[in-house]
Amino acid sequence: MTKTKSNSAVEFLKQNLVLCGIVVLIIVTAIAEPKFVGAANLNNILRQLGPLPFAALGMTFVIIGGFIDLSIVGIISLVGVVTIGLIDPLGQVGALLAGLVLGAFLGWLNGFVLTACGAMTQAEVLFITYGMSSVYTALALIYTKSETLRIARSSKPYTIFTTLGSGNIGIIPIALIVFLLFLILMHLFHTKTIWGRAIALMGGNKDAAYLVGFNVKATMRLAYAINGLMSALASVALLSRVTTATATSGAGYETNAILCVVVGGTTLKGGKGSVLRTMLGVVLITLLGNCMNMLNLSTYMQTVMRGTVLVIAIWLDNRKEL
Amino acid sequence: MSAKANVNKIWAVISKQKAVVAIIALMVMMLFFDTTFYTPYNWLDMLRSTAILEIVAFGVTVAVICGGCDLSCGGTLCLGGILAVMMVNKGMPIWLAVIAALVSGAVVGFINGFLVVHQKTEPFIITLGMGMLLKGICQQLTDAHPLTCTSLEFMKLSNMKFFGTVPSLVVYMLVLFIIFYCIMRFTSFGRNCYAIGGNYEVAKYSGIKVVPIKWAAFIISGTVSALAGVLLASRMNTGSSVYGDTTGMLVNCGVVIGGTSFAGGVGGMVESFIGLFVIQLLTNCMNQLGVDGYYQRLFEGILIVIIIASDCFGRKLKRERV
Repeated sequence: MTKTKSNSAVEFLKQNLVLCGIVVLIIVTAIAEPKFVGAANLNNILRQLGPLPFAALGMTFVIIGGFIDLSIVGIISLVGVVTIGLIDPLGQVGALLAGLVLGAFLGWLNGFVLTACGAMTQAEVLFITYGMSSVYTALALIYTKSETLRIARSSKPYTIFTTLGSGNIGIIPIALIVFLLFLILMHLFHTKTIWGRAIALMGGNKDAAYLVGFNVKATMRLAYAINGLMSALASVALLSRVTTATATSGAGYETNAILCVVVGGTTLKGGKGSVLRTMLGVVLITLLGNCMNMLNLSTYMQTVMRGTVLVIAIWLDNRKEL
Repeated sequence: MSAKANVNKIWAVISKQKAVVAIIALMVMMLFFDTTFYTPYNWLDMLRSTAILEIVAFGVTVAVICGGCDLSCGGTLCLGGILAVMMVNKGMPIWLAVIAALVSGAVVGFINGFLVVHQKTEPFIITLGMGMLLKGICQQLTDAHPLTCTSLEFMKLSNMKFFGTVPSLVVYMLVLFIIFYCIMRFTSFGRNCYAIGGNYEVAKYSGIKVVPIKWAAFIISGTVSALAGVLLASRMNTGSSVYGDTTGMLVNCGVVIGGTSFAGGVGGMVESFIGLFVIQLLTNCMNQLGVDGYYQRLFEGILIVIIIASDCFGRKLKRERV
């Protein structure tokens, strides 16, 4: 009897490793540095969430679909500079919409290239999206001539971006509210709509999805288009926060997004996972960064920690299956 | 009939050797421009510029042929260079510094091998995380400053010239090429690598010691990357944590472009050499023609996408024919 009880405790630990990690992290840091639980730091953490959760949210769908996307570096950079560049000719609403449409289009283009050449394994997808990322970054460089674009330089009003970047409702940043809205939307999309289920089915078994009669190619393009759209949102969140955009501002987001998704517990093999789990991954990674800042560890050690967490998370994830 | 057969034969050769076709196309194109492209100096210079990446690629190819992949080679390269410079600056003999760097690479390869081969995790995501981890370690070691080497002897390692004209890097590259070609072609280890990459289960039941051999492939990949890092540090006379940021993806891309399949079991040193040489040749051609740096990146991305996409397309056609 006791044995089964301890087994179920272990089982619970295994299933909710990330949650336990978050709790342990909070307790340890709160004891070592009481300022950690103060209101100022809480506000800080909420702000630090910033663009990463958007990118991770989009990446979740691609990974659930059994693929991977390295091109969000390029998408975030290109959308950022184009959005700022379009504030003057189109006005702020037009620029925002154009940026989002561009992001979705670039994502769709990835999916189109992949389906057109019939890339089916993760390795092929990895390299093609890497090439696409080079192309997008190069376009951003050509567009800006590697100058830094600033929102403040545009002559039209740009209140949407400043509100999104630094506005608050009570203690909660507006960017976070927008994100929560999208989180709920995407969760419903993933669990309740036929397209969301099709993506998961495609990740589980492509041949079965094809034989059942799903249009696998269209599903794949859809997953990538969603990823592009979410990357565009991440880009808008980023440029609103820092009020500038450069042709390399997206650097590093691809690994961090994949890190959050995988740490959250979505398997790279595809088929399993959820957007809520990704959210846990994002919280863990952001908290980890914040805790290390509070404990006065160098930024470089944070990179080491992220790498270690990624390697260990994949390892544990894999052991669960054995 | 025979004409048609010939056309088919030529088409088969072309579709197999896309990288060679790209090289020939670029060389023919350069005939029409009045540049210094066709001079011995330019060709030696091209070989010297590409030597470091080629050396990394030789190691990575062994891992890829075994059905693995090593994206951590950028981090290993960085770490090897920094360790060597640090030890030489402390006054240790150069041979000891080089050996220490090689050992560090071997250790990284050993850990990669443990996680990928022994624990059966997905190679590219594990090595991606490992690369991130190593990057952090490198930044921590150097405090993100470039480390200048004080020893002239160490600098001579890759800056001297044999016979007055041939740069030493080219000689190292050729020697390593011959060694690796012979290993993969004529030793049982090399042939077993192909067998493991071709079909892991069959190789296992044929009595090949699959785990140690694949593990060794990762160790070789790490060691060779570290060696390349030492040579790069000697060439630049500095060890810096910014080296190797793009090396991981670029080298693996080059290996795949050459025709070494990520599925494993196909390809070889010649293919990898050609694959990376294409990228260098493209850069050189564009430099000769005075193409803007941003457009160079664009064309590089397009080249990667086209070659890998056409590769996928060929496999797709083959699948559908069967």
